Amino acid sequence: MEPTVRIGVDVGGTFTDFVLFDEKSGRVHTGKRLTTPQDPSEAIIEGVKRMLAETGFAPADLHSVVHGTTLVTNTIIERTGASVGLITTEGYRDTLEIGKEIRYDLYDLFIEPAPTLVPRHRRLGVPQRMDPDGNVLLALDEEAVRQAARKLVDEYKVEAIAVSFLHSYRNPAHEKQARAVIAAEFPDLPLTLSGEVAPEIREFERTSTACANAYVQPRMRRYLDKLQTSLAALGFRGHLYIMLSGGGITSVREAREFPIRLIESGPAAGAMASAFFSRLAGLDRVISFDMGGTTAKMCLVENASPNRKHDFEAGRVRRFMKGSGMPLKVSVVDMIEIGAGGGSIARVDDIGLMKVGPRSAGASPGPVCYGLGGTEPTVTDGDLILGYLDPKYFLGGEMALDPDRVKRAIDGKLSQPLRVSQTDAAHGIHRMVNENMAAATRMHLAEKGRDPRRYTLIAFGGAGPVHAWGLAKLLKLSRMVVPLGAGVTSALGFLVAPPATDNVRSYVARLDQIDWAHVRRLYAEMEAEAKELLVEAGARAEAIELHLSADMRHIGQGFEINVPLPKGSLGPEGLAAIRASFFNSYSQHFGRTVETIPIEALSWRLTCVAPGRDIRLDSVRPPSTGTVARRGTRQAYFAGHGYVDCAVYDRYALKPGDRLEGPAVIEERESTCVVGPDSTVTVDPVYNLIVDIR
Amino acid sequence: MAMTSVRDLDPITLEILWSRLISIADEAAAALLRTAFSTIVRESNDFATVLMDEAGDSISENTGGIASFSCILPRTTKHFLRLFPAKTWKPGDCVITNDPWLATGHLPDFTLVTPIFHRGNLVGFAGSIAHSPDVGGSLWAADTKEMFEEGIRIPPSKILEEGRRNELLVNVLLSNVRVPEQVLGDLEAQIVANEVCAKRVQEFLEDTGLPDFRELSKSLNARTEAQMRRAIEAIPDGTYRATLDADGFDENKTHLACAITVKGSDMVIDFTGTSPQIGRAINCVMNYTHAYSVYPVKCALDPFTPRNEGSYRALSVVAPEGCLLNPRFPAPVNARQLTGHLLAGVIYRALAPVLPDKVIADCGGAPTMRALFSGVGRSGNRFSQILFASGGMGAAPHRNGLSTTAFPTNAGAGSIEAFESISPLIVWKKELRADSGGAGKQRGGLGQVCEIEVRAEQPLILSLLSDRRYNPAMGVLGGKPGALAEIVMSDGTVPHQKSRTTIKPGMRLTMRYAGGGGYGPPAARDPATLQEDVLNGYVSAEGAKRDYGAA
Repeated sequence: MEPTVRIGVDVGGTFTDFVLFDEKSGRVHTGKRLTTPQDPSEAIIEGVKRMLAETGFAPADLHSVVHGTTLVTNTIIERTGASVGLITTEGYRDTLEIGKEIRYDLYDLFIEPAPTLVPRHRRLGVPQRMDPDGNVLLALDEEAVRQAARKLVDEYKVEAIAVSFLHSYRNPAHEKQARAVIAAEFPDLPLTLSGEVAPEIREFERTSTACANAYVQPRMRRYLDKLQTSLAALGFRGHLYIMLSGGGITSVREAREFPIRLIESGPAAGAMASAFFSRLAGLDRVISFDMGGTTAKMCLVENASPNRKHDFEAGRVRRFMKGSGMPLKVSVVDMIEIGAGGGSIARVDDIGLMKVGPRSAGASPGPVCYGLGGTEPTVTDGDLILGYLDPKYFLGGEMALDPDRVKRAIDGKLSQPLRVSQTDAAHGIHRMVNENMAAATRMHLAEKGRDPRRYTLIAFGGAGPVHAWGLAKLLKLSRMVVPLGAGVTSALGFLVAPPATDNVRSYVARLDQIDWAHVRRLYAEMEAEAKELLVEAGARAEAIELHLSADMRHIGQGFEINVPLPKGSLGPEGLAAIRASFFNSYSQHFGRTVETIPIEALSWRLTCVAPGRDIRLDSVRPPSTGTVARRGTRQAYFAGHGYVDCAVYDRYALKPGDRLEGPAVIEERESTCVVGPDSTVTVDPVYNLIVDIR
Repeated sequence: MAMTSVRDLDPITLEILWSRLISIADEAAAALLRTAFSTIVRESNDFATVLMDEAGDSISENTGGIASFSCILPRTTKHFLRLFPAKTWKPGDCVITNDPWLATGHLPDFTLVTPIFHRGNLVGFAGSIAHSPDVGGSLWAADTKEMFEEGIRIPPSKILEEGRRNELLVNVLLSNVRVPEQVLGDLEAQIVANEVCAKRVQEFLEDTGLPDFRELSKSLNARTEAQMRRAIEAIPDGTYRATLDADGFDENKTHLACAITVKGSDMVIDFTGTSPQIGRAINCVMNYTHAYSVYPVKCALDPFTPRNEGSYRALSVVAPEGCLLNPRFPAPVNARQLTGHLLAGVIYRALAPVLPDKVIADCGGAPTMRALFSGVGRSGNRFSQILFASGGMGAAPHRNGLSTTAFPTNAGAGSIEAFESISPLIVWKKELRADSGGAGKQRGGLGQVCEIEVRAEQPLILSLLSDRRYNPAMGVLGGKPGALAEIVMSDGTVPHQKSRTTIKPGMRLTMRYAGGGGYGPPAARDPATLQEDVLNGYVSAEGAKRDYGAA
C-alpha cells in the first residue's frame, strides 16, 4: 500500500517547526523543537521521530518529508560559507567588486560597501572571449585555467570554484571546457558554472549568483548528505523534497547542485500557505501578510498563486536598504520585507519625532513586557497597553506579561520626551508600525500598477492577526481572513507546494529579427531539463504544465517586464499574438502603451508545474475543545473611540457559522486577532475568521 | 485621523503624516521610473519628484532621486508662480520648462509642475524633473559657444490646460528632437507621476481632514531647519577657504574659489574669486551652483533627517554674476556638471580643518567621465550608447574611499553584456585601476580601466564629457591626490576630452578613470591594511614603496 503520511519541516533560526498530514485519515498534527544550529539535521531527526511517536505512525508509513531551511540565507548573512575562488574572463576579475557603482544611501558619506564574497586575490582572469551572439572571439586558454585552478586550490586553499565568463548565457562552451579542465585536476572540488546556475544576461548579477552558489555549496552538500543518511537510518524509505525560493519543491539533486535556489525557501512556504487558503476561500486577489517578531512580509497572491520575480538581493549590509546587498538571479516569491515586528523598538529621533523599527529587541532581551531585561518599548508592549493582548494568556498562558514594567518604560522613553500621554504613546507605536507596513504595501502594489482596495488580507505570524485590522483599514480593504493556528499556517505551505522548476536562457533580439529556430531549441533544452527534475520530484510526466514567458521591453528601456507567451507562438506566425501579450502586460503595469517603438526580448523563461498534493482541512479541529466562546470583556483602545469594553473570545470554542461584532479580541495560543468597531466576524467551515470591515 | 489644525499636532502624528508624504513622492517616482525611456534617468537616477505646498516650498521629495533636482524644483515652481499667479491655475493644468536659468542648468532636463486642488482650493504642487532622451541641438557636447546650439528651449508654458494638451507646443517640441516617441513617452511619464502625486495628496487631505498644507508645511520645515541650524552652530564661527583648479576648456583653465562663513546658525558659501564665465558649455547657472553647494553640506552635517525646504534655509550661496558659477544668458551650459560636480570637493576641503570627522576627500568621479558612442551598429540598426562608469570616491576619516563610485552624483553602471548586445563594440577590459587611489591614512577609492574596441563596419562618433586630465582629485588633511584621468586611442592619439572624435573600425580606446583623494598623511597608514591592499593588488608593491615608503 502506498504510504500516506507526509511531514513538512521548517528549520528556522530559533525553532524547527513540523507539520504532519495523513492523507488517509485527514489528520493534521504539529510540533516544534529548538533548532540545532551546528547540525540542523539533529533537530529534524528528533522531531520526525517524535511526530511519528505522537501519532502512532511508523517510518515506513511516510510518503515524503518536505523541507525548507534558512541554512543558505544564514550562511550568507553570517558569512560562514566556503572559501571560494573565481575564474573569469580576463579583464573582468573585478566585476564582482565594481558592482552597480551606486551609493545605496544618497546622503550618508560613510556607507559600508555591499559585500563581496570572493576577495580580489582569489579572482583570476583567463584569456577567452565570446561576443554577444556566442561567437568565439578568443579561444579559451586551457593552460591558464589549469594554472588558475592550481593557484586557487594549492596556494589559497579554496573549497569551491565558480567559473563565470562573459556571454556564457549565450554560449556556455568555454565554461564547460573550463569545468573539464578543473575537474581533471580536482575531481571532488565543488564547481559552479555561471551559465548553469543563472543563464541570464548581465555579468555582475550572474557572477554574483555563481559565487554565492559556490559559497554555500560545500556546507549544504554536507548537510543534505547527512540528513539523507540519518533519515534512512531511521527506517525512512520515502522521498525527501526540498522547498525552492519560488514556492515549488524539488529533489535533493537540484538542491545539491544549486543550493542558492533555496535562499528564500522558508518565507516561500508562508506565501504558499496563503495561496492554499485563498484557493479554499475562492479569493483571487489576496495580500499575504506575515508579521513575526522582527519583520513583516507582504506578497500578492493572485488566482491562488503568489507573485514571483526572478531576482533577489541577499546579505544586505543594511537589512532593509535596497542596493546594499548582493544581487542573485534566482526565482523567488516576490515579497517585501520590512523591519516591522512585535519586537520592533519605538524611540525618539534627533528631531523629536517618534520612530518605530527597524531595530528589534528580537527574542532576547525581547519586549519590555517579557521581563527578560528589555528596557526599550516595542510594538508588543504597545499592543499590551492597548488591551489587545492578555497579560495572563500570552502563548496560551505560558508566559506572563508585565504591564507595569511596560508603563514605566513607555513613560520614560516616549511619553515624557514627546510630551504625550501614555495611551497616545502606546497607540502611536501601534499605528506607526501599521503605517509603515501600509506604506510598504502600497509601494509594492504601486510598482505593479495594482490598487490595494480590490484585495483581501490573509494574516498570520504571531503579530499578524493583532495588526491586520489596522493595516486593512489603512489600505482601505473591506475584508480580511485569519486562518486558524497562526504559527502553523506557514508550515502547511510545505505540504501544499507543487513540484515546480524555473528555467531561463538569455537571448537578446528584436522581436522582428528573432531567430525562432534558436528560441525553439532553447525551449526544447529547458523542457528536457525541467521534466527530468520534476519526475524526480514526484511528478507524473504527462501531468506537467508548461508556462512560457519572456522578459521584454521597448528598445531603449532599461526595465523588462515578464510577458506570457501564448501557446504555439514561437515563430513568425505567432508574432502578432506575442506583441498583443506584451502590450497587455505593459498596460497592466504602466496603464498605457506606446505602439511605435520596437520591442525586444532578453530572457526566455519556462516554468513547469506539476499538480501539488492537496491537503484537506475538513478534519481540522481546534486543539482544545472549549465550550464557552465568550471569555468576558476587557478594556481595549480604538482610534476615535478611546478605551471601550471589548468582548474577548476563545477562538478554540468558536464554531463554523458563528458570527460576532467588533470590537472584539479573539484569542488563540499563538496569536490574537484584534477587530475594531464597524466590523463583523464570521467563522467559515475550516475555522478561518472572515472579517468584514464596513 | 480627522483633524482640522496641525497647531497642536503631537510628534507621533507629525511623523506619521510626514512619512506618508514622503511615500507619496516615492510613489510618484515609481510611476515615473517604470515608464521612462531615458537611459540617463534609469542609469544615473537623473530625475526627482517633489511635493510642494501652495507657496512652492518643498514638503517632501522622493528618496532615491537626484538630490540637486529636489533642491531646484521649488525654485522653478516659484518662477512659475511669478509668471502664472496662484489664482490663474486650474485643475488639469501642467506647466513645463527646460530653461537652464529657471530650472536645472541645461536644456535636456524637463521640469513639469501640476497644481493640486482640494475642495476647490489650490493646496500645493506636484513636480517632477527628468532627463529627456533628446532636446535636439548638438547632442552631448561641451564645445558649444552659445546655449542656442544646445537644443530647443521651452519657456514656462502650459503643456496641459485644464486637461487639454497644448498640441501646438508639443508639435513644435517633437519636431525638434531626434526620437520624438521617446521624448513624448517620457513627458507622459512625468505627467502621470505628477497626477499620481496629486491624487494621493487629495486622499491624504481627505483622510486627515486637513484643509491644506499651510500649517503642516510650516511645522515640518521648522523641524528640519532647526536640525540643520543645530549642526551649523556646532561649527566655530569664522571664514574657511579653499580653492580648486580644473581643466576648463582648452586654454580657458578654470579656477574655483570658495569662502565659507559660519556665524551662529547661518552659513554663507561664497564663490567670489571664481573664474569668469567662458565661451564653452561648462558654465554652471546659479540654480545648479546652489544645489551642488547645499547637497554636500547636508550630507556632512545632517545626513539622516528627511529633506524639505527647511533643510536649506540656514544656507546661502553667493556667486558673482558673470562668473563660471553664475553665468549670464545665453552662455553655453550644456555640460554644466563638469563644473558643478567639483563644488563638493572644494567645500569639503574648506571645512576639513573644522569638521575633520564629517568630510571626505575629493572624488575622482567628480565630475563624471562619460563616453557616448553613436553610429550604425549591429544588423544595420542605428545606435547610441553611453558607457557608464565611475572613478573612485574620496577617502573618509575612518575608511578607504569607495572604488568606482560617483559622488556628488549617483550614477550607476550598467552591464557590459547588455552594452555589447546593442552596440558594435567589444569591451576587452573593465577592471579596477591599481595605484589610482590617493595615498593617505585612508586611501582614496580606485578608478577603473576600460578598453573598448570598435567592431562596426563604419567609423563611429565618440563624444567625451570629462575632466581631470590635468587636475587630480585632491586629498584632505595631508592625504595625496588620486591618479589623473587618461583617455588614449590605440594609435597613440589623445581625443579631446570635451568634444567629438571619429573612431575607425578596429581601433581601441583606453579610458582610465581618476582615483579619489586620500585622507590624512600616508605615513599614518596602518601597515596591516596596506599589506592587504598589496595582497589584493589595489596598491602595487612599487606603489606601496613610492607612496607610503613601505619596504
